[in-house]
Amino acid sequence: MSSALRRAAAGLCVAATALAARADPLPERGYGLPHDASLDGHRIDWLIHFTIVGLGLVFLVVLGALAYAAIRHRGKHTAAYDHGNSRRAALLVLACVAVVFFVIDGNLFVHSIGDLDAHFWNFKAAEANPRMVRVEVNAHQWAWTFRYPGPDGIFNTDDDVVATNTLHVPVGVPVVLQLASTDVIHSLYLPNFRVKQDAVPGSITRLWFQAQEPGEFEFGCAQHCGANHYKMRGVLTVMAADAYERWAAASAADAKRGFDPEDKDARWGWEWRKF
Amino acid sequence: MEEPSAPVRLEEYRTSVRARSELTAWVGMVVFLASWAMLFASLFFAYALVRSHAPSWPPADQPVLPLALPALNTAALAISALAMERAMRSLRAGRARRAATALAAAAALGFVFLVLQGVVWLGLYRAGLEPSGGPYPSAFYTLTVFHALHVLVGLLALGWLAVRARGGAYGALRLLPVRLWAMYWHFVGAVWLAMFASLYLL
Amino acid sequence: MALPATHAPSAETQPIHPAPTSFVKKYVFSLDHKVIGIQFLWAGLIFLLVGGTLAMMIRWQWAFPYHPVPVLGSIFLRGSGGVIGPALYQNIFTMHGLIMIFFAVTPVLIGAFGNFLIPLQIGARDMAFPILNMLSFWFFALSQLIILASFMVALGPGGAGWTSYPPLSTNIGMPGIGQTMVVLALFTTGVSSTMGAINYVTTVIRLRAPGMTYMRLPLTIWGLWLTAILNALFIPVLGSAALLLFLDRTFGTQFFIAGAASVRGGGDPILFQHLFWIFGHPEVYILILPAWGIVGDILSFFARKPAYWYRGSVYAMCIITVLSALVYGHHMFITGMSPMLGKSFMLLTLLISAPAMVLVFNWIFTIWRGSIRFATPMLFALGTVFVFGLGGLTGLFLGDISLDLYLHDTMFVVGHFHFTMAAASFLGAMAGIYFWFPKMFGRSLSERLGKAHFWFSIVGLTLVFGGQLLAGYAGQQRRLFDPYQYTFIQGLRGLNRWTSYFAFTLFAGQFLFVWNFFKTVFARGHTAPQNPWEVTTLEWTRTSSPPPFHNFDVIPQVQRGPHEFANPKVKELLGRDYLGQAEDMPEATAPAAGAARA
Repeated sequence: MSSALRRAAAGLCVAATALAARADPLPERGYGLPHDASLDGHRIDWLIHFTIVGLGLVFLVVLGALAYAAIRHRGKHTAAYDHGNSRRAALLVLACVAVVFFVIDGNLFVHSIGDLDAHFWNFKAAEANPRMVRVEVNAHQWAWTFRYPGPDGIFNTDDDVVATNTLHVPVGVPVVLQLASTDVIHSLYLPNFRVKQDAVPGSITRLWFQAQEPGEFEFGCAQHCGANHYKMRGVLTVMAADAYERWAAASAADAKRGFDPEDKDARWGWEWRKF
Repeated sequence: MEEPSAPVRLEEYRTSVRARSELTAWVGMVVFLASWAMLFASLFFAYALVRSHAPSWPPADQPVLPLALPALNTAALAISALAMERAMRSLRAGRARRAATALAAAAALGFVFLVLQGVVWLGLYRAGLEPSGGPYPSAFYTLTVFHALHVLVGLLALGWLAVRARGGAYGALRLLPVRLWAMYWHFVGAVWLAMFASLYLL
Repeated sequence: MALPATHAPSAETQPIHPAPTSFVKKYVFSLDHKVIGIQFLWAGLIFLLVGGTLAMMIRWQWAFPYHPVPVLGSIFLRGSGGVIGPALYQNIFTMHGLIMIFFAVTPVLIGAFGNFLIPLQIGARDMAFPILNMLSFWFFALSQLIILASFMVALGPGGAGWTSYPPLSTNIGMPGIGQTMVVLALFTTGVSSTMGAINYVTTVIRLRAPGMTYMRLPLTIWGLWLTAILNALFIPVLGSAALLLFLDRTFGTQFFIAGAASVRGGGDPILFQHLFWIFGHPEVYILILPAWGIVGDILSFFARKPAYWYRGSVYAMCIITVLSALVYGHHMFITGMSPMLGKSFMLLTLLISAPAMVLVFNWIFTIWRGSIRFATPMLFALGTVFVFGLGGLTGLFLGDISLDLYLHDTMFVVGHFHFTMAAASFLGAMAGIYFWFPKMFGRSLSERLGKAHFWFSIVGLTLVFGGQLLAGYAGQQRRLFDPYQYTFIQGLRGLNRWTSYFAFTLFAGQFLFVWNFFKTVFARGHTAPQNPWEVTTLEWTRTSSPPPFHNFDVIPQVQRGPHEFANPKVKELLGRDYLGQAEDMPEATAPAAGAARA
């Protein structure tokens, strides 16, 4: 049994006990980016690192020029009488600007647009996957509540699985979230998946990601939402496909047994929004 | 105190220190009105965004805004603006007394506007439109009350100008306060036109 | 010609008024732009200390959460035994941001330098509207008073972040009078800024001395003037947001309320963000443009070399001013904004980096082949270039939507805007203070203390805000009361602690400035000569230190641009390397080659 499966099984046990189990994702070591557990996170990491290197070089060159000028021209000789108003002077400055602008900014723009269209904002492809998991998220002070449609695939019915501050998803499958908030603006932030999305009262926003490995990961709130903003933390459990199926079936059966038709407040879900 | 508009005096005025500082005041007024226009533009932007989010406007259970009185009010402000122009022309022609009358008329029309606006508010409030009753009354009351405050400031100033003009304080070459308040008054009128069109007509 | 031409008016248009004699008219309700400028300077510096103290509390919290704050805790937090709780924590970071931006940096850069320098550098006897100018200061003082009072009320002052996003900033999230007072203070300071802006814009248009064409204005004036234009146009937008928020809080209107607490569907919380950032992004440039102008001038003054491609710098600043009004959407990339809109905002945002780089390259080419004098103002100006470089470059990450998916609302954002708005504005302002102090107070600050202050500041600022960038890169969200609730942040405890130690050192280093400032103002320091830095602009070449009430005995006739250094002809005939803006060329027949083009 692979370690991944063992971890998934352990996750299943924790979930099945249906306690507000204290799950412990591994702390990150070092100061780098958090561990990337997602399908597309590496695109963001690459763009960040390319930009860091590119800008680092620019900065070092500029800083070097500044330092060189400061040391070389420290009042030891008379200054040049040059207003820099000639066409040559202007072209020199504009050429320096153009190089930096097209290499760094151009790269950022092209890659960002490409990544967004093909991946991060490509909900069409994510929703086209037949195994895609849909979850509705209701943020409120100070917790995240998640709603799965259950076996019938329809939200706000008696088999909806509802969980607070814990989110279970299968590995290798797109997870599409629709977010709303009841009180103030929150922001769902999944550092290991390099995504976040505001949950705004009065409107529905959306987010999708795909986990590439089983395990437990943290998510939290990124938008200041009041005194206990820091406590809006939850744990995302990524499970192997069969483990997830079992968890989903068991949870849906529990939900159906515990369904109270009188409790209208519990049915805060909405009809899955088509964008 | 009345100054003749003899060409010699006019030429003297144009090169004087006072003429220059009056032009400076005029530039300042233009900057101020540009600045204030941004304030009203933001309020209109807020109104447009809130309205575009609402499923129906007005909501089914809230009263529709009247059209007759606001239309009358638009006319009142339009005539008031004409009276203001008339006052300026009279002053330029050296007829201070006539200018005072025109200024008083402009102020009075401003007063009529406020009274009619009060009637509109009272009617809607009685019909159940409270400021806290959702986005529709929020936008309506905020925009109209904020504008009415500007009308109030304007009509007080015009009244004061009318009194001063009657005492002969202004003439063909001494009309800076009247000129600046006229700009303000036309600005307030223009804002009302936009408000009438967007709140009541659209 | 119906009206006088709009070119600079002739000298006799500005009569000399007698100086006031009573204490109240001279120092309290003064109409003198120089006194008002110094009033703004004091008001801003005092609040800089208040905002800095709050920052130290935040840093303490991130280093040692749940531990009593030493010294400050026993003074201000007696009720809780010196410990910061989550509710108090949100008040602290909210007020830190608000105070620093609106009540410390704004009055120093715009209130103090704008008032003091605009008439002096353009050759005017005062502002266009002195009474409006006085009112502007007293409205500002009123707003500061409201801010201070808000600390005393039940439930504390504002706690919704400096951006005051609703619905958190409405009664749903922040009940109590404190947040209402904060909104009122914002509105009041907005009125003050608008008054100041109208005055600055008009003064520069109308009161330039004869010969002072737009292309001969010092870069400082360009920075301040463009700032004033942005202020005049965009502060009212903030005013409208504050007004609507105030109405939502007190009259139950529904502009920004949505969700469970809304009536009939409610309004739109995102509307506030639109209004706030339509103002807020220009505000970023409002805070940095004056610093850019000051740096552009000081680099030339102390490199003893004309500013490189003056026109290029001016055009770049103008382009940035226009663009700054069109990019605000990049603050809202993850609110669920439409993709098309988001991409347009991203393109415009990246475009801004081009003119900004023009400025940076111009600065470097200015000192290149100069003859640099490393006086304190020059050190601060070079430091500004350094931190602005870091701040500007990190901004490129955040102007980008896909990177924002990860970096938005993390400490990376905090580090970025502190490098630009805090470090660059602060160092730029300090460059200005050290530079113009002799003109303001007639005495010179100690160079030795000034240089020590510089090294403390530049090293401290870089390490503190660099530490924030690193924490953000590792994913730490901003505004967390206890970041270590999150396991993935626990590894950053050491980083955050070290950042805090650097912050405490930085704060302590500022007392070098306080000591220098007080010692020189109150204990008799060296009396400053008229032109201690040997530079060219009107305030140094044409009037005493400090200038008399009417500034100039004779309104100067300006001959050339502000950066006439190293002209060999001047060197040959006058034996010095600079020529004042209103100074005659020694030989009337000598062609002033540089000046003609400048």
